[in-house]
Amino acid sequence: MATSLARAPIGIELRVVGAVGPTALTRRLSELGLRVGSHVRCVQKTAGGGRIIDVAGSRIALGRDVLDAVQTVEAHAAEATSA
Amino acid sequence: MSTAPEVPRPTAVPSCHEDGAPLAAPAGAPVVVLAGAPNVGKSTLFNALTGARRTVGNWPGTTVEVGRGGCVVEGRVADIVDLPGSYSLDPLSPDEALTRDVVLAEGGGRPDVVVVVASAAHLARSLYLVAQVRETALPVVVALTMGDVAARRGIRVDAVALAHAIGCPVVALDPRRRSGVDGLVTAVGTALGEAVAHPRNCHAAPAADELDAADERFGWIDAAVTASVSTEARTRRTWSDRIDRFATAPVLGPLLFLGVMWLVFQATTTLAAPMQNALGALVDGPITSAGGWLVDTVGLGGTPVRGLVVDGVIAGVGMLLTFVPLMALMFLLLALLEDSGYMARAAVVTDRMMSRLGLPGRAFLPIVVGFGCNVPAVSATRILPNARHRVLTALLVPFTSCSARLTVYVLLATTFFPTHAGTVVFAMYLVSILLVVLVGLGLRATLWRAVGADPLVIDLPPYQRPTLRLSLSVTWVRLQGFLRTASGIIVATVVFVWLLQSIPVGPGSFGDVPVSGSLYAELSRAVSPLLAPAGFGQWEAVSALLVGFVAKEAVISSWAQTYALAEPTSSHDPGALGVQLHQTFAVASGGHTGAAVAAFMVFLLAYTPCVATLAAQRRELGTRWTVFGVALQLVVAWTLAVLVFQVGRVFW
Repeated sequence: MATSLARAPIGIELRVVGAVGPTALTRRLSELGLRVGSHVRCVQKTAGGGRIIDVAGSRIALGRDVLDAVQTVEAHAAEATSA
Repeated sequence: MSTAPEVPRPTAVPSCHEDGAPLAAPAGAPVVVLAGAPNVGKSTLFNALTGARRTVGNWPGTTVEVGRGGCVVEGRVADIVDLPGSYSLDPLSPDEALTRDVVLAEGGGRPDVVVVVASAAHLARSLYLVAQVRETALPVVVALTMGDVAARRGIRVDAVALAHAIGCPVVALDPRRRSGVDGLVTAVGTALGEAVAHPRNCHAAPAADELDAADERFGWIDAAVTASVSTEARTRRTWSDRIDRFATAPVLGPLLFLGVMWLVFQATTTLAAPMQNALGALVDGPITSAGGWLVDTVGLGGTPVRGLVVDGVIAGVGMLLTFVPLMALMFLLLALLEDSGYMARAAVVTDRMMSRLGLPGRAFLPIVVGFGCNVPAVSATRILPNARHRVLTALLVPFTSCSARLTVYVLLATTFFPTHAGTVVFAMYLVSILLVVLVGLGLRATLWRAVGADPLVIDLPPYQRPTLRLSLSVTWVRLQGFLRTASGIIVATVVFVWLLQSIPVGPGSFGDVPVSGSLYAELSRAVSPLLAPAGFGQWEAVSALLVGFVAKEAVISSWAQTYALAEPTSSHDPGALGVQLHQTFAVASGGHTGAAVAAFMVFLLAYTPCVATLAAQRRELGTRWTVFGVALQLVVAWTLAVLVFQVGRVFW
């Protein structure tokens, strides 16, 4: 079951399975390393309803609407199903 | 290749200073552009390469800031251009569009070498731009920064293997400690010697669309990263994460932000004020006497030259000088906040509130600073990476009520509303906040209708100790830029007002005429009918507003001149001036004095703050937006003042 980054548990390694939204936004997210297949982790919640995401070691702050647009699954669960 | 929207491309790489300052590199020098994502140390590298020989200014015809300077490469001076930070050549903002336009320019405007600054700590992300630039025929050199940050995270990048994988030279360096910069200069020199680069052959399939092209680039990047990066097990929770637990947290984050804002506000008011006063006293006292003495000695004592030198030039330069400590402090604080990494967190914390105005969170800072002084506040809009946001914020700053306006409020409030003076002054601040919000919403609904609030996507660089050397150098360059652009307009305006006050209409000779008989008073009389609907269409009131265009500090002293009175020693004790003002406003308003004074105060709040703010706006936005801003403020000021008087006189 895919969950959005806004609902995904904090501190668990996740795998991105999809991102919806305007092309400019998804392209920018891809450039920052947030694209289908990449592994990410929610670090903490921020003021204003956003979250800080760990993408390959860098920290990116995303707003609520961006978090909603990115679908993820737990990384280890995903490996188990694909195996 | 990306499809380029229709943005005019520069036909040549022109000088970025509109004010004609000498270019650090001679004409025809090879052009080396620095490109790279934000937070990879690009500007630090630029500083290390160019040293003192550089300027920071707007690219011609745009409000996009570029740094520019000279650097000796193989015995000749090359022109180094520091482009705005950009993750790719697919722009999301005008600043990023400029980077694309310059890199993809054809013919004479083509740069000779592109240096892409890449962070070893975030190599994959940095290489996307490299992939795109390598698709052109331009020679590329990759400057690999932040090796120390990467090492702390257990990441090692093999520069030789990386160079082999991406097919262009890679130089590892640390511009913060100035190591490896010479190696980069050598590599750039070698690249300049090469006739044409060998572009990356990216389009195996000719019908590749944009998404396929992006996928191909990501594949290329993955291969390069796999070949060059070795990662050890790393600690998951960094120091920056620990600080961010507080700095961006839901309740503590905004509180910390307010604390930081309070410090910035205090620094630009309490800390700068004594220095401003000392400089002001120096100019009014010894320098004015010395200037007068000098003119007398040359034998021009009785001539208008004395007035021109003392009341025109020295007064104008003095006004400019009093802004220097304030601006230096402001620029230094901004550099420290930016360099430490806190600015990015402040942007996260305030994003939601500011997004209602269509502005990113960072715009909060210039608005807060504006309540101290509008001039550094306009310059502080530099912290906004997007030029459009910068324009909107710099247009809103003049509606923040600065401390110079406060002295006039206090004088008027104690004169006309002695029992409620405090409440009246407080109300002016509420009106000011309301104006910022309403004008912001208004501009967003009209001029920037197509622009939605950008979704929040902010890279948070690790916190680091700011380097004082870098911050001081940035401060110095910005201060020079301010003085260069602001000095002309400020001195010219002060001289112009002196000239108007010196020209007699009717009896008297040039330079020896009471204010009421000068061309200046005549002009005030001509304008005053326009302000009759607002209840203060008397020349004595209007002339103060005309002087207030130069500086709000001058309003009270100009009234003293107008009524030929000694200037009141304190704005809390108006004395004889109060009596005269009562009379002026009573006559002008037909007895509705209270309503007229309220309208006058609202007008004073909303129209042009001072000529120095205009100078700062012209520097940041260019002349056209500055003129638009003046017109906007006058329209808002007049409309509100008329509204206040017409409604107010029903009750007063």
